[in-house]
Amino acid sequence: MMESVIRRLHEDLLNERITCVKFIEGKIAELKESPNNTANYLLSESALERALEVDKKIRAGDPIQLLEGIPFGLKDVYLLQGVHAAGSSDFLKPYISPYTATAIQKLTDAGAIPLVKENCDSFGHGSSNENSAFGPARNALNEERVPGGSSGGSAVNVAKGYTAFSVGGDTGGSIRQPAGYNGVYGMKPTYGRISRYGLMAYASSTDCVGPISRSLEDIRILLNAMSGRDSRDQTTIPSTPIPAEIFSEAFPVNDTSVGYYRSFMENEDLDPAMRDDFLRLIEKLKQLGLNVRELDFFDTGILVSTYYIIAMAETASNLARLDGISYGERMAAETLKEGYALTRSAHFSEETRRRIVGGNQVLSHGHSEEIYLKARGIRNQVIRNFSRDFQQVDLLVSPVSPSPPPPLGSSLDHPFEMYQSDAYTVGFSLGGLPTLTVPAGTETGIQVTAAKNREAEILRFAKFLTEGVEWN
Amino acid sequence: MGKIMPLELLASIKGATSSEAVNDLFEVIRKALPEEGQQENREELHLSEAVGIDHLRGDEVAESSEIEKEIIRKNFPGEKKGYLVVPKVIED
Repeated sequence: MMESVIRRLHEDLLNERITCVKFIEGKIAELKESPNNTANYLLSESALERALEVDKKIRAGDPIQLLEGIPFGLKDVYLLQGVHAAGSSDFLKPYISPYTATAIQKLTDAGAIPLVKENCDSFGHGSSNENSAFGPARNALNEERVPGGSSGGSAVNVAKGYTAFSVGGDTGGSIRQPAGYNGVYGMKPTYGRISRYGLMAYASSTDCVGPISRSLEDIRILLNAMSGRDSRDQTTIPSTPIPAEIFSEAFPVNDTSVGYYRSFMENEDLDPAMRDDFLRLIEKLKQLGLNVRELDFFDTGILVSTYYIIAMAETASNLARLDGISYGERMAAETLKEGYALTRSAHFSEETRRRIVGGNQVLSHGHSEEIYLKARGIRNQVIRNFSRDFQQVDLLVSPVSPSPPPPLGSSLDHPFEMYQSDAYTVGFSLGGLPTLTVPAGTETGIQVTAAKNREAEILRFAKFLTEGVEWN
Repeated sequence: MGKIMPLELLASIKGATSSEAVNDLFEVIRKALPEEGQQENREELHLSEAVGIDHLRGDEVAESSEIEKEIIRKNFPGEKKGYLVVPKVIED
């Protein structure tokens, strides 16, 4: 769980155990042959050109950076100049990115090689990766199950080893839930730690960029590589690099307090076996000497509704720009407004239409006070709740999802049930808190959350969980 | 003011109607206890989320690169004899 995929590949390249070209050719072949349908666009030509340059440097004895020559995937909602960015939508299938997202630029500046634009739910609208104009992706552990969403393709690529790591996007759980469904790490950092510039906006007040990886050390490396203020995203915050030493220090078992929420355990949708597994983890932490507290929190139904109401309002505003005038698909009509409506009706998926309509509904006269502003009020209380909790505990642990990944084809016809599958992830999005999915403890893993900017504490505890706790 | 706009027009989506799933989400918030749904304190929210004035970006026009401009032109959905075609605008 700890061994760095990035460091191992870096060593293999430096010691010429494999050439970068050969390695990337192998990954392209695997992606092409994969039954998991994770690749919207393969960037074979540009990736091999970059790989050739890395091999030349190594042969010449020039030094290479740690990320140089490391192939990665990016969710199809990120812009990379000159490359398609459809956001897994039909609407933007003709669209080419004019510029590159800041987070992706930082990785390519460090030498990492973008290999694949990854399948996801269209515009991030979904929790199963079935709402995609490129067809559903399939779970890495069981191809008859959904991979989760919206960053499903990214989590599967990491789990299958097609990419050394992937960059997902998380608005209400879209990194953490697919990471849990596919048995890998996925981190939603503190809101604003990584720039959103060049990420297609879904719900701007919770949208986060984050890494998905098979290794905790790689999560640390990638957070450090992508974080930082960006004048192009004024919600970005300053942060300090997380030192590698956090993993070599002894974990202060007797000086750590951990909380978990009673309401999460009372959720009727929680799978009984997963509840038992989670409560076993809680007992184990107590036995190991940690101070564990049960805390009060909001009912999961209220959290889900609050999140979706705010997210729908924001996506209705953000996607208003998709009108077929400047880019994307356009359908001709007699009048301008008729053209907008025809274009948007034909090229948005059913789920995206549902969210846009819901967002407009909730922002309209009569609904805004009764629902939207009330939801915003609840969000403020959620934030206050977290502040109070982090005066009592250092970390929070929670399940990632109430149940195992559902079978393919069972989610899209039951949207309300699909929304409820985000019961454990959306609260931390509303709070802007850093949260990591650790693939241990329950069938879909567990989440570890800390106060803002405390990613280092989360990683340190995650290492303890994966190495210091014996799992049955 | 006073003009009621149908959802279809608000969302610019043909035949847009409210969905059962979304109405169910609304219902949960409608029924939430008053203390859970205190109207937001705008001042508190804005102060906690606001960007400090020292960190605001300067109001300057940044020139796009040639390649960026070229891609933006290529992305335009309608082109005729070197001109970018836009739909007719009829005020109503």
